[in-house]
Amino acid sequence: MFARIGERGYFMRDIGRGLKDPATYGSETIRQMRNIGVDSLPLAAIVAAFIGAVTAFQTRYQLFGGVQLSVVGLISRQSIILELGPLLTGLVLTGRVGARITAEIGTMRVTEQIDALETLAYDPIAYLVVPRLLAALIMVPMLTIMANAIGVGTAFLTAVLATDVTSAAFSEGLRLAFAPFQIVYSIIKATLFGGAIAFFCSYEGYQTTAGAEGVGRSTAQAVVITSVAILVLDALTALLLAPYLQG
Amino acid sequence: MKKRDDVLVGVVMAVALIVAIVGSLWLARGGLSKGYPLYAKFPWNSGLKQGQPVLLAGVNVGYVDEVDLRPDGTVLTTFRVGKDYKVPRGTVATVVANGIFGDMAIALTPKLGPNPVSIPPEDTVPVGPSAPGIAQITSKADSIATSVNAMTTALNQQLVAAGGVEDLRKALASSNALVLNMNRLVSQFSVIAAEQNRQLSMTQASLRRATSGIDSAKIDSTLSGIRATSANMAQLSADFRLTAMKLDSVVSKANSGTGSVGLMLNDPGAYNDVRALIQHMDSLMADVKKNPRKYINLSIF
Repeated sequence: MFARIGERGYFMRDIGRGLKDPATYGSETIRQMRNIGVDSLPLAAIVAAFIGAVTAFQTRYQLFGGVQLSVVGLISRQSIILELGPLLTGLVLTGRVGARITAEIGTMRVTEQIDALETLAYDPIAYLVVPRLLAALIMVPMLTIMANAIGVGTAFLTAVLATDVTSAAFSEGLRLAFAPFQIVYSIIKATLFGGAIAFFCSYEGYQTTAGAEGVGRSTAQAVVITSVAILVLDALTALLLAPYLQG
Repeated sequence: MKKRDDVLVGVVMAVALIVAIVGSLWLARGGLSKGYPLYAKFPWNSGLKQGQPVLLAGVNVGYVDEVDLRPDGTVLTTFRVGKDYKVPRGTVATVVANGIFGDMAIALTPKLGPNPVSIPPEDTVPVGPSAPGIAQITSKADSIATSVNAMTTALNQQLVAAGGVEDLRKALASSNALVLNMNRLVSQFSVIAAEQNRQLSMTQASLRRATSGIDSAKIDSTLSGIRATSANMAQLSADFRLTAMKLDSVVSKANSGTGSVGLMLNDPGAYNDVRALIQHMDSLMADVKKNPRKYINLSIF
């Protein structure tokens, strides 16, 4: 247990060393930002759209009589921006991006391409892991912002078109007790999730052994570990930062 | 390819940042424009927070921008009103409950109605009496609940402990018996009504038959005869009336003693003469009967 934590600690140290070599990871980072961010945008958008619609719909029909309908806007905003937007984007990217990172690096490991890089005096972590980590740290928050906007937008459309909530009532609830820190909180979460995806998935890929079977096992393990890590980070973030969220 | 990646990544990042900034501004202020500031001083426990709505005559026109706690027991509240809205002079600001979850809003109420003169930006709006907060409402609800509890206890004592429920059950049982009797009575009435209805139907049928048997021509001629008889009777009555009048005048004359009859009826001398005459006639007749040859002397040859 502690040995595993220690191994990951060493891996983190190596990443820190790799960050000192921008010439190696600079150009690769943009490509990874494209892979992680731009190519994941449709998937994140679809997930956010459905989550926003379902949140608004469910919220409306959970309200008992006498509650003003602007509450639908308030609960939709808080649910999407504070929780569902970053969390579901993180989990979806774990499947799409994290698995890919582990498979890519793991395949390179089992085919000894990483050994070849070392032979060529390349720092494999600076070349393979740091660009992915930086790309995830930057692009997952961007995707989360887009997902939040799309989720709130579809929540608005669903509430106005499919329920008896008026656009004025939804907008009033949407703006009720809003604090800009709520957006920052969402971005902080997304950044942590992005870091977790890149870190754990890269590590599992980097430690892959035993050929193609090992790649598959590492990929599955990476997805599970990263998903659990995201949920733990989500809980920790809420525990530490929720008191500052009140508008 | 690398150039394309750069552009795509740049576009996504730029869009995400713009969405985050514009979205935050819209959520916090209701738009990119901040509006103009106004101030109001509310008591400490007013429950105001940044971002809560500002309502002018019920319409959302702005938001609470800043809440500053003052040591003198007041909260200096800065709120911003959209540039399209003017707050008429004479308006008072109150803190009102916004929904049932304890959320608050600033309500601007123009006491004097529409006024072309508006409160200028950065001015302080006078504060009116605040609406009761959730704590006050809860306290009132508590007192109501206490009263309801006392009533429930009293009802429990009266209805359960003092046997009120038992009495009620008995009354209900009696009512049930009464209802049964009423039902029986109603059914009897129904039978009678049915019989009456049958009799009435029969009577109607008989009447219909009798009516159909009447000859309308005969009725007409009978009615004409009755009408003629009635006219004759009227004439006869008129004749009788005339005769009675004449007779009356004769009697009147006789009574008044005028005329021969009157004199005869009213003169005692004449009466006496007549009596004496009658007596003479009686004695004459007696003498005639007694000695007829004295008066009648018949000789044929």
